[in-house]
Amino acid sequence: MTDDSRPPSEIRHRFEAELDGIKRSAVALGSLVLENAGRLSEALLENRLDLAQQAIDADEQVDRAYVDLERRIFKVIALQQPVAGDLRLLISVIRIVHEIERSGDLVVNCAKGILRQQGFRLASQLRGLLARLCREALDQFARGIDSVASLDPEAGLRLDREDDTVDSLVGEFYVLLASEAEGMHVDTAIELSRVGRYMERIADHAVNIGEHVAFAVTGIFPRHGEIDEQ
Amino acid sequence: MDDQVNPDQSSPQVPPAGPGERPARGRPAASLIHRNAGGSAEPESLIFDVRGLRVFYGSFQAVSDATLPIREHEITALIGPSGCGKTTVLRCFNRMNDLIEGARVEGTIRYHGVDIYGEKVDPVEVRRRIGMVFQKPNPFPKSIYDNIAFGPRIAGYKGDMDDLVQESLTRAALWDEVKDKLRQPAYALSGGQQQRLCIARAIATSPDVLLMDEPCSSLDPIATLRIEELMIQLKRDYSIVIVTHNMQQAARVSDRTAFFTVDVKEAGMRTGRLVEFDTTDVIFTNPRQKQTEDYITGRFG
Repeated sequence: MTDDSRPPSEIRHRFEAELDGIKRSAVALGSLVLENAGRLSEALLENRLDLAQQAIDADEQVDRAYVDLERRIFKVIALQQPVAGDLRLLISVIRIVHEIERSGDLVVNCAKGILRQQGFRLASQLRGLLARLCREALDQFARGIDSVASLDPEAGLRLDREDDTVDSLVGEFYVLLASEAEGMHVDTAIELSRVGRYMERIADHAVNIGEHVAFAVTGIFPRHGEIDEQ
Repeated sequence: MDDQVNPDQSSPQVPPAGPGERPARGRPAASLIHRNAGGSAEPESLIFDVRGLRVFYGSFQAVSDATLPIREHEITALIGPSGCGKTTVLRCFNRMNDLIEGARVEGTIRYHGVDIYGEKVDPVEVRRRIGMVFQKPNPFPKSIYDNIAFGPRIAGYKGDMDDLVQESLTRAALWDEVKDKLRQPAYALSGGQQQRLCIARAIATSPDVLLMDEPCSSLDPIATLRIEELMIQLKRDYSIVIVTHNMQQAARVSDRTAFFTVDVKEAGMRTGRLVEFDTTDVIFTNPRQKQTEDYITGRFG
């Protein structure tokens, strides 16, 4: 390569720094939602209405960070015309932040249910199972965010297999809820079944995040392959 | 090699040859050969089957060992940094390197199955079949009409010249703009129009391949877009190989992309090398080679 074909690296460094910054911001957004989900979990299990309200209030920060990040990505695509790995990363992050933002909304939905019910008074078995479900779903979500931070496609794809644990816990939760529903107000039973559904969905978003990470790194989107085969 | 002055800038792009009527486009290459040289049959879809191509200028090796199957009715883009040999390779396709003293080509380039460097092949006929469009529009200092008619006239074209001029200009998407001023000097046209005139001139001698060496590098974005649209229309009838420094252009118009790089050897010898050849889609979304990814994402040097 001739010497004049070596570009001044300043512009490229700035671009790389922006890509790295975007990835970090996506991880930070995920951490924000995770933190909020932790608050929700405690509100749910400990009847902490104050924490439920905090979880609702904190979502505004999540939404603002999400919109900022989407704008940044849009701008980089428009101005830098990225290709190959850079383009895959940006496309993936734009999808990932959407999954995160949706997860944040589910946390809010759940928190609103707690406030509507003025907290849940749960029998110990149901409470224990709900605690496990929340822990597994939030662990799953945390692993999804970790896979973004490490850009580890293997870790990303493992999430799909690990999701079986959450799915079976949700199944158990529904069965137990049905058996204990007789002693509950119907609104409470409905609200609790929604909680189960929200936790399942948060774990599903984590699976999607893992797939986006795999695509960013390998260029292969697992679900595209499945659809192609059909 | 890209920076070399083109020795042929002022001469006809497609030295015309062959007597009589215009040959039909897309015909096999038997007419390249004075006598039957026994070229082996190649897959129908390959216009050029390039194997183990090495190019030397004296003792200097410009390109090492490129193998490149180029398909018919596709646009193939050659990209890479200056000095990577992409223009050198392009010039091998119509034996333009023959015009450079000390140039030597090893390996084979089969065009419709015929080795174009075979002993019995007429290089002038090769250049008529395989036209070239250069970086800078280079119309002759003649009228628009005569620019198109020049080559066919020398070739002894006996058909209706007016029809040929109109057809060539129409194919090059220039007819509507120049039909009322065919006798005006070509230099009166804009840069983009001049380049389309050069494409029309190349088409007039009925090639089935167009080689384009950075055809838009001196044009503004609108003229560039017109040439790009034209290329996409032309690939129905022709096969196109384009050298471009504009990666967005390669991504927009080409079907396949070859990425070349340059290896610096001892004593500062710089030799071009083909790194990766694949569909343009793969090259720009998920290239297999890290060197390709580094180049197209701007992480060179």
